[in-house]
Amino acid sequence: MKKAILYINQFFGQIGGEEEADFAPEIKEGLVGPAMELQKQLGEDIEITHTVICGDNYMGSNTEEAVNTIIGFLEDKEIDIFFAGPAFRAGRYGSACGHIGKAVKEKFDVPVISSMNEENPGVEMFREHIYIFKGGASAAAMRKDIKKMAEFGRRILKGDTLGSADEEGYYGRGIRRQVWLEPPITAADRVIDMLLKKIHGEPFQTELPIPDQDMVPIAEPIKDLSKAKIAIVTSGGIVPVDNPDRIQSASATRWGKYDISDTDRLEPKVFKTIHAGFDPAAANNDPNVIVPLDVMREFEREGKIGKVHDYFYSTVGTGTTEGEAARMAREIVVDLQDANVDGVILIST
Amino acid sequence: MKLELGNFYVKEIVFGDETSYSNGLLTINKEEALDIVREDEHITEADLFIVKPGDNVRLVPVKEAIEPRVRVEGGPVFPGVTGELMQSGNGRTLALKDCSVLVVGKHWGGFQDGLIDMGGEGAKYTYYSQLKNIVLVADTDEEFEKREQQKKNKALRWAGMRLAEYIGSCVKDLEPEELETFELDPITKRSSEENDLPSVVLVLQPQSQMEELGYNDLIYGWDTNRMLPTFMHPNEVLDGAIISGSFMPCSSKWSTYDFQNFPMIKRLYEEHGKTLNFLGIIMSNLNVALEQKERAALFVAQMAKSLGADSAIVAEEGYGNPDADFIACIVALEDAGIKTVGLTNECTGRDGRSQPLVTLDPKADAIISCGDVSQLIELPPMETVLGELESLGRDGFAGGWAGDEILGPSVREDGSIIMENNSMFCGDQVVGWSTKTMKEF
Repeated sequence: MKKAILYINQFFGQIGGEEEADFAPEIKEGLVGPAMELQKQLGEDIEITHTVICGDNYMGSNTEEAVNTIIGFLEDKEIDIFFAGPAFRAGRYGSACGHIGKAVKEKFDVPVISSMNEENPGVEMFREHIYIFKGGASAAAMRKDIKKMAEFGRRILKGDTLGSADEEGYYGRGIRRQVWLEPPITAADRVIDMLLKKIHGEPFQTELPIPDQDMVPIAEPIKDLSKAKIAIVTSGGIVPVDNPDRIQSASATRWGKYDISDTDRLEPKVFKTIHAGFDPAAANNDPNVIVPLDVMREFEREGKIGKVHDYFYSTVGTGTTEGEAARMAREIVVDLQDANVDGVILIST
Repeated sequence: MKLELGNFYVKEIVFGDETSYSNGLLTINKEEALDIVREDEHITEADLFIVKPGDNVRLVPVKEAIEPRVRVEGGPVFPGVTGELMQSGNGRTLALKDCSVLVVGKHWGGFQDGLIDMGGEGAKYTYYSQLKNIVLVADTDEEFEKREQQKKNKALRWAGMRLAEYIGSCVKDLEPEELETFELDPITKRSSEENDLPSVVLVLQPQSQMEELGYNDLIYGWDTNRMLPTFMHPNEVLDGAIISGSFMPCSSKWSTYDFQNFPMIKRLYEEHGKTLNFLGIIMSNLNVALEQKERAALFVAQMAKSLGADSAIVAEEGYGNPDADFIACIVALEDAGIKTVGLTNECTGRDGRSQPLVTLDPKADAIISCGDVSQLIELPPMETVLGELESLGRDGFAGGWAGDEILGPSVREDGSIIMENNSMFCGDQVVGWSTKTMKEF
């Protein structure tokens, strides 16, 4: 028997309406409110053991405390799957389902399923973190929305092959994966079909929707370079020859930080590149072509720049995903800010 | 230009006394075939194997696939590569279908090499598990690159081509079981029926990223890094004018067999005169410097416009840096008023959440996606391994690793493996076979 727990707000938890919206979290054994319908839809193999109830305002204004309290309730419970809502178009309720759903997912790594209307702001806030099914605008859709959540939950726990977000009916989580078309249609056939539609002005659906661009504005110029501390950051894979941080030659997920405070230039055989995306000969012969410490030291002596930061930072750019690159950058930036670095020379290869 | 491809459908391959073909049975004299392989003194060890769909055999490191062929009127199957230069795409070429020559390193692999499972759940990841294959497993004395991550694999790739020519030659005097004819009238001499249809060019971006010669695709023996976009007849591609290189992570690679059989070209031929007027191929490339990318896009758009193309299809052999060429080319074509569809694969990362191509543009509004290089694949041990399984983890495969703190090594002690799709041999089939797509979850 698999165990499930459901989260609902004070209204559906039969505590009360708006006047009870500050209701602090409680966990009740067994089924409360919508849990009964959910249990009916889940069938005999999955048992909802508890219902968690919390006021929408309480969750909204004491989010961290509410989440911690509820996680505390759950810590000694068996959980195979977690449900929240459905929240329909109720914004605070949707957001509450999202907050607690995300926390449960992160803490217990179990599937979390909710349902919200497309106009619920909780959708955009939490669609990346949990399964949010496309739901109705009001409680009139309760039975329908719960049915979708329950069916999907049953299939996850049975280990069924799951379809894409569109096929299953939840809001896409931003995860793109390859699938085999059934029935199979070759890429060549799909190209011709799409091309003819495009030529004749008929609607077509691209297989790679272009996401919103995440453009980074160019930084303001440094006012006085002669007083500025400048750091060198590269995706060109320059590392000490023993690659102490085991940065990968391609598809990197790691970066390294290397002390150059007593170094005037990077010597070959002391530093090398581990980047697999270009011919390494030139860089191994003279690592300064990628990490131009030699020139930076000259600028430092000439007073063109204030100081070269005591460390340079390195990773490998080839095959490295935009997501991993952004994460590594966020980690490096913290370090740069702690050291009061004013400017960065970012060297790609 | 008129090309006749005469086909012989191979149903079974065996070793025997005389290399010959009869009623679907391909017999290969192993020693004679190995003598052809050993013509190059750099080949130090060589052996041949036969594998067929469903066999519990894992091949790694796979370097190349070639369809055995012969020219009826004489001349090399790969002009400028395995023999003198001559015009390809004209006359009659005979091909042994449903089979390929696969070249596998006996020990050493690299960034560009791939893996094929002929049976089991891994078989679905490559096209080549559907073919009967003559597998050349060999080693060379190319010491300079033995432990390099990037290998030219010259001796092995050329041995594969010689072997494919040798095997193909056994049907030279036979009547083919089927004749496919590929013929396009010169662009200015087409019928009004053809001219009234929307016209299309196919823009190919074969792999050309390495500045050093010896790694890139070759066109009539010429390194694609050293060329500007040019106009080609589709028959030239189908008839050996271009061979695969030895650089790109393997699932994105187009093998020589892929070029010889290019499904997108054949599909355009099917539409020609019915729904489209197939003008021909603009052969571009994927050089790494920004100026080279921009220059190539300028050439492509100008050529397409001057040819009067109403529409275009752009296909890239690669991902990552080449995405910039792919998108730049689509944008240049769209800016020239040419309705364009792109054909590519994606890299969305281990968690599937990364931007799918390194550059994007809202003008690229029609893309067919053939797969995800970064998808993790876990496969059980195989009874037989041809080549060396350790190479997948040891030799810097694009989709393999010696160790990973979460996933462990790619090659486990029991022979099971975990890898990225990146190293499935020509797995994303961007040439047009792919029945994979990408969906959001």
